Amino acid sequence: MKVRFWGVRGSLPVPGAKTERYGGNTSCVEVRSAAGTRVVVDAGTGIRKLGKELVGEGEAGRARVHLLISHTHWDHIQGLPYFSPLYQRGNKMSVYARKRDDLHLQAVFASQTHDPYFPVPFAEADAAIEFKELSDAAKFSIDDVKVACARLNHPYVATAYRLTADGASVVYVSDTAPFSDILFEDEFVARPPSPGAELPAKDRQKLARMREGVVRLCEGADLVIYDTMFTAEDYQRIPHFGHSRPMDAVGVCAEAGAARLALFHHAPERTDAEVDAILADTRAVADKTAKNLDIVAAYEGLELELGQH
Amino acid sequence: MKLAFFGVRGSIPAPGPATVRYGGNTACVSLRPESGGLIILDCGTGARNLGINLMEGAFGKGQGEASILLSHAHWDHIQGFPFFVPLYQPGNKFHIFGGAKSSPMLEGILEGQMAPQYFPVQTLKNMGATIDIVAIAEGKPFEVERCQVRARMNPHGRAGALAFRIEEAGRAIVYASDAGYPAGGPSADALELYRGADVLIHDSTYTPEDKKRYADRGYSSVEDAVSAAIAAKVKRLVLFHYDQDYSDADVDALCTRGRKMLDDRGGKDIELTGAVEGSTLTV
Repeated sequence: MKVRFWGVRGSLPVPGAKTERYGGNTSCVEVRSAAGTRVVVDAGTGIRKLGKELVGEGEAGRARVHLLISHTHWDHIQGLPYFSPLYQRGNKMSVYARKRDDLHLQAVFASQTHDPYFPVPFAEADAAIEFKELSDAAKFSIDDVKVACARLNHPYVATAYRLTADGASVVYVSDTAPFSDILFEDEFVARPPSPGAELPAKDRQKLARMREGVVRLCEGADLVIYDTMFTAEDYQRIPHFGHSRPMDAVGVCAEAGAARLALFHHAPERTDAEVDAILADTRAVADKTAKNLDIVAAYEGLELELGQH
Repeated sequence: MKLAFFGVRGSIPAPGPATVRYGGNTACVSLRPESGGLIILDCGTGARNLGINLMEGAFGKGQGEASILLSHAHWDHIQGFPFFVPLYQPGNKFHIFGGAKSSPMLEGILEGQMAPQYFPVQTLKNMGATIDIVAIAEGKPFEVERCQVRARMNPHGRAGALAFRIEEAGRAIVYASDAGYPAGGPSADALELYRGADVLIHDSTYTPEDKKRYADRGYSSVEDAVSAAIAAKVKRLVLFHYDQDYSDADVDALCTRGRKMLDDRGGKDIELTGAVEGSTLTV
């Protein structure tokens, strides 16, 4: 199984010299099994370059893409209208995301490409597109790739995915807050909780179950890709924005016995040098608490080979 | 008047080593009139850096006021809006002008981007600053930050995009992004809007060759920009809104071709600049 990172940034794309090394494109990760099944997780601006490769790779007119969406905040879908295979007859794409009571998945993408925002409505795309809505703990197969889901703690709710193929597993956990101070549902959270405020028991229990679900999803994984957008200081200031710190990811990975962690969804203001420093700090701390965990910071263009080949 | 370029790219932000020099952020230009105040032209991702800069001054204290002119609502012209930090500082005031059939419709377009399925803030109402939103009529002059402004709709694919002329004390700046003229070039109304401008910031998305391939997308080539500049007898042409796949070297070549076209076609006296993210231009 091959994992390729096409976009590793959170919030919005950040071009410029200070993000040149890790990359400025928003979230997009491609997973390809040895048999050739292509699963893409999230469609931030990184997906544009994957699309260019696909239309020029001899797959033109027969590309088959399975797109798993963690949630539909802009940085996870904004690249999709610029994904060239959509505009080529014969290509097929299946879009998967969590089912919501208030809005059909198809409607989310229809308004993204509707007048006055974008000139080509989704309905006019040349590729065949189908939408598949998922339950919180869905389990299903995409050809030879097994997929399992878990709910995350993020405003308007997000989904984590575990993909298993070729005897290897990768888990994508983005976006999520830690499972401690705020329970995110659909409502807007205007301000951080007051210091020392205790959560109602039922919220605490729900968060504990949610965390347990994520740990189980990551169990024995070869690679866990985790939203580590926040530093400890960021979290102190804006815990109600729904993102984790590297140590939250290390904690989950250590408990789950995962082999490797990729820090992901870097904050837009984070320079390459700062990501380097965060990686070094995280490794130093994890040396004491999670000795066997290998840690990398995801960068655009990073390719990881998992399982036997 | 002082212009500053925060985003010069079209369609979608283009991060990466190949775009570091001209910049990869989508359309956003600021204009500071001599009389003070601030006019912001479009809110592509470049608006994020503008916002960060502004927070060092009055906007950081909730005492800032600015006007935002939106050419149209394609993503690359509004996607920086939710990340424009001064909008989250209570006390700041923003006046937004754009093309729509009514002001509530324009507000609805901006709300559409903030909706909970797309953005955690969920509505403009949660942003904090005072925001008023006004749909403007084509051709009719209005006042913004003590400047005279007029707007004309240029064709742009299936839609249209407003071009703005901003005048202060006899100086004129024109912003004409996303212009897909018919075969005959700009309309008489558009040329009248551009006429004699000190600076014409003009859509130059494509080389003439790429323009032919993508004619239906509704953008200008560098050649279209040059022709408009010559016909309207402007003093300076600024190339703007480069294609997302153009590298710095490609944009260098676009500028060189633009210069040569001006020289060959009677526009020797017109200055030409390729817009660079982070650069300023004083008129």
